[in-house]
Amino acid sequence: MERELVVTGIGGQGIQLLAKTLALAATREGRHAMLSADYGGEMRGGPSRASVVIGDSPLRALPVLASAWSAIVAHHRFSEPALARLRPGGPAIVNLPLVDPSSLPPMVVYGVDAAAVAASVDAPQAIGFVLLGAYNAVTRLVAPESLAAAMEELLPPYRKQHAAANARALAAGAVAVRPARRAGAEVAG
Amino acid sequence: MTLELLEGSEAIAASAIAAGCRFFAGYPMSPFTGLLESMSRLLPAVGGVCLNAESEIEGVNMALGAAAAGARAATGSCGQGIALMQEAIAEAALNETPFVVFNMARNQQDYFQSTRGGGWGDYRTITLAPKDIPEAVEHAQLAFHLADKHRAPVIFYGDPLIAQTRVGVSIRPLDFGPLPPKDWALDGTRSGTGKSRQIWTWAMGKATDPGPGPDRHWRAIAAKFDAIAKVEARHEQAHVEDAETLVVAFGSAAKFVEYVVAELRAEGHRIGWFRPVTLWPFPGEALAKATAGARRVLVFELNAGQMLDDVLIHAADRSAVRFIGGVSIAESGLAYGELMDAPVIRDRILAAVGEGTRS
Repeated sequence: MERELVVTGIGGQGIQLLAKTLALAATREGRHAMLSADYGGEMRGGPSRASVVIGDSPLRALPVLASAWSAIVAHHRFSEPALARLRPGGPAIVNLPLVDPSSLPPMVVYGVDAAAVAASVDAPQAIGFVLLGAYNAVTRLVAPESLAAAMEELLPPYRKQHAAANARALAAGAVAVRPARRAGAEVAG
Repeated sequence: MTLELLEGSEAIAASAIAAGCRFFAGYPMSPFTGLLESMSRLLPAVGGVCLNAESEIEGVNMALGAAAAGARAATGSCGQGIALMQEAIAEAALNETPFVVFNMARNQQDYFQSTRGGGWGDYRTITLAPKDIPEAVEHAQLAFHLADKHRAPVIFYGDPLIAQTRVGVSIRPLDFGPLPPKDWALDGTRSGTGKSRQIWTWAMGKATDPGPGPDRHWRAIAAKFDAIAKVEARHEQAHVEDAETLVVAFGSAAKFVEYVVAELRAEGHRIGWFRPVTLWPFPGEALAKATAGARRVLVFELNAGQMLDDVLIHAADRSAVRFIGGVSIAESGLAYGELMDAPVIRDRILAAVGEGTRS
């Protein structure tokens, strides 16, 4: 089975790194992965999108996804093209309170306040990893330890000091994620 | 088989090196730059050389020089830079110097450039057009094999999706069979005075050892390309037996078409696809057979209609051919526009199917 993820946000949120981390984690588990990136020239604030496809056999998915099973919506800006590709019923993680869960198509929507959670574990720069930890807790696409190992592997030598904080962010996201809306209905609490 | 998550450019570079490429020269231009960067990172570790040339013209001529000395050599750019390389590519075709030109193109507008060429003389360039990164990894090695087999430059026609997407790939040397010895190479083994070899487009030879001259030489070159055309055309196809509608596409566009055709068949449409794997030689005989029973032959490419010419030449019935592609470029100018998208392609195919058929 192939599972597609679209990640959408703005430059500076760690969109590309979280997508690459998931794709590498799946690859290290011996599975097939594809990663497509799409971002503007701006360092921060411009559109940043990525898609990841994971499967147990050679992938059929196209590098421009015809549709996607799941989403991480880190920011509402520039998110419309990605949201338009989502198949109903799949899981989505939204970054609260920046993203309104009701802005998504009829999916099973989960929320996490990524900035607050990242700050609470003294990893304020790692909101992308909070979102990824939350996403993987919901979808269980890869083992949590695969994510942490891939995160460490992707850090360049001059960023290794962030490995522990990033790992805390991944774990905290997995704990903090909550249902925000069922497909077609609001969820109380 | 262990998979590594590599960007297409990196995978192509690693595959070319696995095939024995030891010299690379080029000038940065998006989306080719990733291949140049990968080569510059990977080649020194295997004793190879990668040079950032002063321009594309220097890059291609450096590759020509290294190839003349017997190395597996390559250059690359995107179509805009390869436009500058046309003289050297034509010379290499005519003086039989084998190297590979990686066109990490921005779009599909270089079909004529690849298959017709912009240099002078009676020459052709074998052109491989992979549909995705796994095939690009294979073609990166096949290109060197075909170049050495036929002593001719070979073009690898990639694109931004192949250059910049990351996928899990496994890279190992591929065996395409034996090759003739490079007994023509200017490798210094003839020990000099009076015995030196010569590579010369006009083949006039030396005063003491005249060559065949341009007339005989260029007839032989033309005959060689005729022979290549008969044996090296490659294609893939599916569902041609019962297809009322056959969609012809190349490169990444063909992968998208394959995806859409699979959807449409699942919905009951009698539709198939045909993909030239080599753009030159164009698999004309195969296309003629594949289109013999089709009521519609749809050509999808992201340009104003270039491969369309070859389809019109070879289709069983020209009147069945319809063009459903078009120019489609991203705002940046560096990548495909909105037409490289499965839902859009699906709409165009369905619109053409709904337009009626030849009687």
